[in-house]
Amino acid sequence: MYDSIHHYAPSQLCGKFDFWPSRAYTLGVIMKPTESGIVNEFKELVRYRYLLSQLVVRDIKVRYKNSVLGFVWSLANPLLQVATMTIVIKYVMRLDIPNYSAYLLVAYLPWMFFQMALLDSSQVVLAHRDLLRKVYFPREVLPASVVLANLIHYVLALVVFFAYLLFYKFFLHGASIRLTVLWLPVLMAIQTALIIGLSFFISCLNVFYEDVKYLLTVLLNVFFYLTPVMYPAELVAAKLNSPLLYKLYLLLPMNALVDAYRKTLLPPITGLTIRDTPIQGLPLDYTVLAAAAAICVIIAIAGYAFFNARKWVFAERV
Amino acid sequence: MMGCAIELRGVSKSFELLREKHMSLKSAMLSFRRRRPEQILGLSEINLTIERGETVAVVGKNGSGKSTLLRIIARVYRPSSGSVVTDGRMSTMLALAAGFHPELTGRENIYFNGAIAGLRAADIADKLDSIIDFSELDGFIDSPVKTYSDGMLMRLGFSIAVESDPDILLIDEVLAVGDAGFQEKCYARIETFQRTGRTIVFVTHDLEAAAKVASRAIWIDSGKVAADGETAQVIVQYLNSIAHQEHNKDG
Repeated sequence: MYDSIHHYAPSQLCGKFDFWPSRAYTLGVIMKPTESGIVNEFKELVRYRYLLSQLVVRDIKVRYKNSVLGFVWSLANPLLQVATMTIVIKYVMRLDIPNYSAYLLVAYLPWMFFQMALLDSSQVVLAHRDLLRKVYFPREVLPASVVLANLIHYVLALVVFFAYLLFYKFFLHGASIRLTVLWLPVLMAIQTALIIGLSFFISCLNVFYEDVKYLLTVLLNVFFYLTPVMYPAELVAAKLNSPLLYKLYLLLPMNALVDAYRKTLLPPITGLTIRDTPIQGLPLDYTVLAAAAAICVIIAIAGYAFFNARKWVFAERV
Repeated sequence: MMGCAIELRGVSKSFELLREKHMSLKSAMLSFRRRRPEQILGLSEINLTIERGETVAVVGKNGSGKSTLLRIIARVYRPSSGSVVTDGRMSTMLALAAGFHPELTGRENIYFNGAIAGLRAADIADKLDSIIDFSELDGFIDSPVKTYSDGMLMRLGFSIAVESDPDILLIDEVLAVGDAGFQEKCYARIETFQRTGRTIVFVTHDLEAAAKVASRAIWIDSGKVAADGETAQVIVQYLNSIAHQEHNKDG
């Protein structure tokens, strides 16, 4: 699949002679032709961190239109979705799980992070067409800024989620917050690595192929149902009836992550049945989670390398 | 203070000739034939040394490769072969308003544009007042730039480019913006620039402006340096060739 891209974006045209400032931000920067490499590229990205932060701030300001109300509106969509799903599952599918809306929300928020960041990154290079054609800057700040802006949005949404949990605990005697919540930053880091890797691929491919964003929308729809967001992973384990297949299922990183979010932030799920047969809640499988994390890191590095090999052709193609 | 500001050695740049503007991933995966796209040579074997403190005008016909040359120096395009060495912080005025976001205020856009030029927040804060002063936009600086007129955008863009105090200033087409009064101010600012040993490279069709500002001119024709030297001489050569071509067309 990627072979054909070489053909349209030959890196040999632009990769042989690269120049990198020895010291940016200081007067008298000397740009020399040097060998490029993933480490040098990353150093250059770090040098431009102020631009990255400006892009993130700009994204968030524009999204919330400088207002608190803007933030409330941006939360309305996931909350309404979760409310609808809760009603469907409770009253149409008649799955009677106590406190199910919390189990949905804890999975839906990371899914939203995943989906929004990838959709935004399919547009980000084309949206900065004018800038790319006129000015030098490390191109990777564009997908990186989109992912970071969505990460911040996700963190804000999580604050609301914890407020919701506290509300449940004190007013409806629901689940209390558990010590495994300490896993949260680790899970977020793994998920961010996954998303940044994928967004490198997507933002780059969308420059060369115009149907990438449509394909992405379709794939995201399919994966929404493949990922245990609306249903707990235990249902999949019961249906597959094979520990090995279930482990493979969890190797899809978003599956492992959503399952881990649910199992670290909330108490084990109860009241789960298929045709009146009760289904046991499963403990979190840390080995599989570690393997999924390794896959995420590989995707991040591969995405960065893929992007870097093509990023200097963007200005000629957008 | 002499020394090399920009050095190009054997720089060539070829582009792929695209038959369709967009390709689809679907068709790319389904097609088995891999045609090599045709290459067009934009620049070929350019050797160029620009000393610190020089002001160089790049002239030539449309499509001759002038803007490609400027983009290669600005590192927007990577050369297909050859090497480019630049010494100093560059500021590009390739499009004055390219980096503006309509929803953000003038002040926020100054910070953003400074960041694109590789400056830090503290550097930009230092230069903020002089940028706003020069642009004459103090009354509007906290309004979103979507409320600005084209002229106001140009003025803000120019002010950011010159007041961010680069060592090398790259300009495409517009050397001076705004009304006659503001244009005078731009030329005066460019003169200060020259006196302090900064390097300016600008691409222009305005030969009068070239003669007025630049000490050296480079005539690019079909991706090659056709002439390089004292501005007046190069302009005469360039104009002669145009007259010659017109003559041939008529005859």
